[in-house]
This record gives sequence, structure tokens and C-alpha cells, in this order.
Amino acid sequence: MKKSILALLVAAFAFAAAGTGGASTQSPKMAASALVKCGKTRSLGLLAPITGPAASLGVEQQRWFNYYISRYNKTHKKTKFKGVYGDTILAGPGGTAEAVKAAASVASNSSVLALVGPAGSNEVIATTPTIKNAGLAFVSGSATRTTLTTDGQRTGYFFRTVPPDSVQGAAVANFIVKRQKYKRVYIIDDQEAYSTGLADFVQAKLKAANVTVGRDGVSQQQSDFSSLIAKIPRNTQLVYLPWQVADKAKAFADQMRSAGRSSIKLMGSDGLFDPAFAAVNGAYDSFFPINAKDKTILAYEKAHSGHGEFFGAPSYVAAQVIGGAVDKACKNGTASRAEVRGLIKKTKIKKSLLGLGVRFNANGDIRGGTFGIYQSNGTEFKPI
Amino acid sequence: MNWSLFFDLTVSGLTLGSVYALIALGYSMVYGILKLLNFAHGDVYMIGAFLGYFALQGLGGPGKANVTAWFAVSLMFLASMLGCGILGVVIERFAYRPLRNAPRIAPLISALGVSFFLQNSALLLFGASFRDYGTFELIGGKTYQVGKNLFFSVPQLLTFVSSIALMVVLTLLVARTRIGKAMRATSFDREAAAMMGIDVDRVISATFFIGSALAGAAGVMFGLVFGQIYHFMGFLAGLKGFTAAVIGGIGSIPGAMLGGFVVGLTESYATGYLPQGSTFQNLYVFSLLIVVMLVRPSGLLGRADIKKV
Repeated sequence: MKKSILALLVAAFAFAAAGTGGASTQSPKMAASALVKCGKTRSLGLLAPITGPAASLGVEQQRWFNYYISRYNKTHKKTKFKGVYGDTILAGPGGTAEAVKAAASVASNSSVLALVGPAGSNEVIATTPTIKNAGLAFVSGSATRTTLTTDGQRTGYFFRTVPPDSVQGAAVANFIVKRQKYKRVYIIDDQEAYSTGLADFVQAKLKAANVTVGRDGVSQQQSDFSSLIAKIPRNTQLVYLPWQVADKAKAFADQMRSAGRSSIKLMGSDGLFDPAFAAVNGAYDSFFPINAKDKTILAYEKAHSGHGEFFGAPSYVAAQVIGGAVDKACKNGTASRAEVRGLIKKTKIKKSLLGLGVRFNANGDIRGGTFGIYQSNGTEFKPI
Repeated sequence: MNWSLFFDLTVSGLTLGSVYALIALGYSMVYGILKLLNFAHGDVYMIGAFLGYFALQGLGGPGKANVTAWFAVSLMFLASMLGCGILGVVIERFAYRPLRNAPRIAPLISALGVSFFLQNSALLLFGASFRDYGTFELIGGKTYQVGKNLFFSVPQLLTFVSSIALMVVLTLLVARTRIGKAMRATSFDREAAAMMGIDVDRVISATFFIGSALAGAAGVMFGLVFGQIYHFMGFLAGLKGFTAAVIGGIGSIPGAMLGGFVVGLTESYATGYLPQGSTFQNLYVFSLLIVVMLVRPSGLLGRADIKKV
């Protein structure tokens, strides 16, 4: 009896150990160096919240990712790309577990040589072991937590096409303190890693400049802000919302208006650079120095009923980065994930549609990343 | 004491509480009849919000509707309540009725399945984008003042008054009509009710129709007051509605209303008065649930079951 229990325990342990090893059954080194026949159609991976509470963001990223693929496929007759998708369900009840499952699923597809995403910083942290084990490079178009590239956990594997919170936060604090000379600011984060990181950074900078700062948070699933608005002191000059869901920020602005607080200015972050938040006349926002007249952006808008969906634009650039690297690696007909990673490190794009050139530093951050400040005229954001 | 803040929080809490109360009524009615926790109810509420939205779009959209604002709002309620009522009947017919004699866990799992089915169907059909009711364009953004510190908007007043009115109508329906009497009999003893000639299936369908129609009304109210609707909005609202039903005493109509207001006010006061209250508002609401369950397990207005031993 004891022997059979022991055998069962050993079997269960072995099964569990196999299960926690991720999707790849190869060692990390083998997975990274395994040569794949490129063929005519090559696969690019995407990890994004395609469903769940943050689906509106993930769908924008997916559309821009697909837009890169469709443009590439139109202009290249001999080679084609196809997308392999993983749904990370950001901010869903399963936490980051869904992102890990999605990463394992995409990584187990040996034809995927690199991937775009994940969208959120928490998802990046959670999926790092799985993606690294598979030897894949991952390029995010929205994960901005500063430590993602400085903690040494994913150097050489992780890259991003957006500057980190430290760059955006400094630009925002500078605008509030030096340009607007505001003295009373209220910061409301949306409880996601992106938002709290940025809010913490700006709060520290403002406090250091002797600005009176109030702080609160709301869930991304929350739509009733009336109690929170009642709590904001009436003499507040600016409410800073480093959020990712522009429609929620629009609802917040509407409820501010209902509560007779429309004289308080609102300011958003790059996650709110969207027509929904631009509908709030006079609102400020920080974003990359994007060129709204860029022909790629204009063509995208034309193909998507006039909607720029700018939150997803950096994912286009991320797709451009991995697509370029896969193309180069496949020149001799075969490529490995390690080869693609090496080529991504050497990326050189003179000017992307974000208004920035794309070259990565040793940590995987974009070199010379900057943020601009914009103000809404009621329909769109204009640089100020 | 900052009275202005207190009244602002109270108005906000009562408005939110009205929405929770209507959701809680549906939970309570279904539990009263079938002893089933219908976890798909929050998603019926979400579908109701979308039906109201599409009814408004069908009339030309906010500010462009070719009928008066009040007629448009009435039609939105009608479309949503009718649509959700029918949806509730369909859910009962296909997801719960076949499992009526199965162990109690089976319909519970089925309810969770229906919840995900509705959520993902909404994502597929309506997309992931948020939809804006455009209340300012539809009704206007005027705020009314009573005394020195009490301010409220038309949608807030409409939500509070109509939820009270719906509860009164429901109470009268259950207490004074034949179908209400049949509902009470079915709730008391389903088999005995059937033996007395009551068409139990019809009564259960009617219960689902009414409960789901109330959820539809709550969805429209939410859209009018808070502006934005989306496919995932039913999850948390459903949980809060369920909490309200349990706090008030599941199976009790006045209890569901009371529970809704208690949850709404707790959320609102916690946000306004406690540090980082908005961040942790759900912690306070669900802590209250635990406290009520410890002190009064049958809820504030619920009756403890008497078991023959």
C-alpha cells in the first residue's frame, strides 16, 4: 500500500514538474538556437488583451499589428507574414495567469521567431520566464514600467518601442510645475502597474517641487466616479489621470461636469491619447511626438473609419522591428530565435510613425525617447 | 462636518444603490423560486444596457433623436426590459430547466457558463469598444439644488425614483395578483404548488422574465447616469447585486432594495471618507457582507429557514 502511494506521489510530482516547465519541451538554449525553415510565409507572434476588461486597448494593438502585416504582404510578393495571437486578458479575474498561458501557447509554435507584446508591465514580468525559456525576443508597444529594462531579468530578450515612465513622468511633472505653475494637483491611478508606476513617479516629482498632491485610485472596471469626484478639493487646479482606457476618462470628465467641477483641468497620459479623451475640450495629454500627418497614420485612419487608435500605433512599430529582423534572419532560408534576437538588438529605423527613430540601448530601451505635451481642442490633441 | 461632501456622497450612493437594488431583485426572485444563484444575471444587465443604447441609436442617437428626450428614454427602457425579459426566459428554458432535477451544483455551473457565453457573445457582436450613452446631449447636464448643499442631476433623480417605483410595482404584483400568488406558492413548495394545479414552468418563466426585465432597466439607468457601457460591465455589477441580495436577505423583495442601498452607500462613503477609499471600495463592500453574514446569516430582512427535525 505504502509503495503504491509513494509511486503515485512520484508520478504526480513528475507530472507537476513537467507541467511547470512551460510549453517548450526543449532546453532554453536548444529552443533559441533551433533552426526553422522560413518558407514563403513567416509567423509573427502577438500577445495582447484581445478580450476582457482591457480589450479596447488590445484590439487597437491587434489592428495596428495586423495593419503592419497587411501592408507588408501587399508590398512583398515573395515573402508573407502571418500573425499568431495570444490573448492575455489584461485586468481580468485570472490576473496574469492568462498572459502566461497565452505566452506558452505562442512560444510553443516553433514557426514564431519573435513576438510583439505583452501590453502591460505586469504581464511582461509574469511571462518573462516562459518567453525566455523559449528563446524568443519580445517587443512591447506599451509596457512602460521603468524597471522592466533595468532589473536585468530580461536583458537581450525584451525591448520596447515606447520610452519608459521615467521619461514620460519627468515631462509631465515639468509641464505641471514649470509651465503651468500649478500648486494643487490630484492624481488618480487605475491600479494597473502602468498607471501606478507613472502616478508614483509624477507624485514624487510634484511633492519635491512643493506642490500639494492628493492621491487616489480606481479600478479599470469602475464606471461610477461620482463619490471620488465629491472628494476632490474644490480648489484643485488639475486632476492627473495616467489611465489606459480613454472612454473611462471621458466618463470621468462627464461626471466632473455633472458635479459642477468642469473648471478643474484634466491631464492624461499616453494611454489616453485617443479621440474619446480628445472630446474633453481643454484636456492635456502626454504622448510621443507623433506626426498625425504621417502617411502610414493617415492610411490607417482611412482604413479604419477615420479612427487613429493611437494607443496601438507603437505596436505597429514593434511589428516593424520584429518583421525586419525576421526578414534579415531568413535571407538564407532558415532562421533561429537567437539569430532574430541578435538582429532586433541592431535595429535601425530612421524615423518611425511615432516621430522617433528606433535604436535600442543595451537594456532594450529606445534611444533618445521623448514625450510631448498636447491639448485638446474638443476633437483632437494639438501639440502645445 | 463638510455637509456638501456628505450630501454629494449620499446622492451618489443612493443612485448606485438603486442600480444594485434592481439587480439584487432579480437574484432574489430567482433564488426564492428555484434556490438557484443565477450568476448570468449580471450579464443580462449588461445586455440590457446595450439594448437601451441601440434603441437610442435606432431613434437617431442622443441629441439627434427624432422624438422628445422623454419619449426616447421611455422607449429605451421598454426595449431593454422587454429584450432582457425574453432573454431571461430563453436562458431558463435552455440552460436551467433541463437541470432542474440535477444536483444543485449543476445549474450553478450552467449559470457560470451562460455568464461567459453572454459576455463573449457581446464582445463578438458589439465589439470591445466602450459605448457612450451621450446623456448630456440626450437630457442635458443641468444640476438641481435643494437647500444649500444638496445637488442632483436629472438622471440621478430618474434612477432613484424609477427604482423605488419598480419595487412598489413588483411588491404589488407579488402580493395582489394571481401570478404573484402562484409565485409565492411555488417558492414555498414547488411540488405542492404543482399538485394544486399551478403551472410551475409558467411561473418560473414569469419570474425569470420579471427579474431579467428589472436587470434591463438597471442597465439603462446605469448608462444614463454613468455614461459608458461595455461588454464586461456585468461582472462586478452582478457580484455587487448578489452581495446586496445576500445582505438584504436573499428571497426578500424589500431586503434586496435595502441591500442595494446599503452596498451603494457603503461604497460611496468609503470612497469619500476613508484614505485611498476609492482604491479599496470593494474591500469595504465585501467586508460588510462578511460582517452581516456573521451577525445575521439570513440577511437584514431575511427569515431564517425553520427545519423540521
